[in-house]
Amino acid sequence: MTEVQITIEDIAGLPEGRLGKLIHVVGQLDESNVDEKAKEVYALIEANPQGLSLIFDFAGLEYMNSKSIGYLTDWYSKVSATGGKVVIAAARDNIIDILQVVGLTQLVNTYASIDEAKLAVSQ
Amino acid sequence: MDNNPPIETQETTTDIEILIPTQAYFLSGIRDFVLNLTKNMTGFSERWAFRFQAVVDELCNNAIEHGSAAGQKIKVTIVSMPTKYLEVIVEDTGTGKDKMTPEQMTALFKERQQVVSDQYLGFRGRGLPKIVGEWTDEVTFEESAMGGLKIRIKKYLRKEEDTVSSAQTSDPTHIVLQ
Repeated sequence: MTEVQITIEDIAGLPEGRLGKLIHVVGQLDESNVDEKAKEVYALIEANPQGLSLIFDFAGLEYMNSKSIGYLTDWYSKVSATGGKVVIAAARDNIIDILQVVGLTQLVNTYASIDEAKLAVSQ
Repeated sequence: MDNNPPIETQETTTDIEILIPTQAYFLSGIRDFVLNLTKNMTGFSERWAFRFQAVVDELCNNAIEHGSAAGQKIKVTIVSMPTKYLEVIVEDTGTGKDKMTPEQMTALFKERQQVVSDQYLGFRGRGLPKIVGEWTDEVTFEESAMGGLKIRIKKYLRKEEDTVSSAQTSDPTHIVLQ
């Protein structure tokens, strides 16, 4: 299995009634690991059914395949449907490039830094 | 009068064949190889090296998921004509769960290219039409001697922005692994 680590922390300072999670992804998301790792994000969404916002910190993400982009789209759909937000922060050029070619940047906003992403989800 | 014969500049391709077991575990190694090969031997830019890495990964994933059964192999052939083009051929044995003819695959490819728009919310189906289709100049489907499909993609190096310095491609035997 290709190495990838996902760590999740709370986002402080959001308006009352809103919950935010910062998801750090480090390594490569590919066919060998994405199904297993996706369960952690689905568990997070299921445990927080209303008003959840997710920031994906992709600073340490080296590669993502089309299936992992499919999961990201599904998380966006589920979270948006319950009034939450999903954004991407600090992604490398090759990650932005692949998200653009499949059209995901038309749906999910990307920010250069985590601070900018936090500001976006807090509004 | 100059009696010296004209100097012929012989252009040759670098052909590399790799057989891979049908396990996704091995694909990270293939991605690293394609990334470094493209950066160092083809004349394509780093941006295109990352793109080819994704293209080859998607083609191999499809061959493993649909084309060759567990315990068998897929074949990846990389053909590089430095500063001209890069070609990648992925073949399967046709023993997987979704055996398709080249004609069926060609039709499916065209159909998916029309379905997958910018606002596409589906879970699967972006790999071939978007990542492979958008980042290559030619995509063809043929019958493979291995018994299944042979998918051939080709990308020509033609834009100024794709070119890196000739010093990096002058020695075809030298690959810098990073």
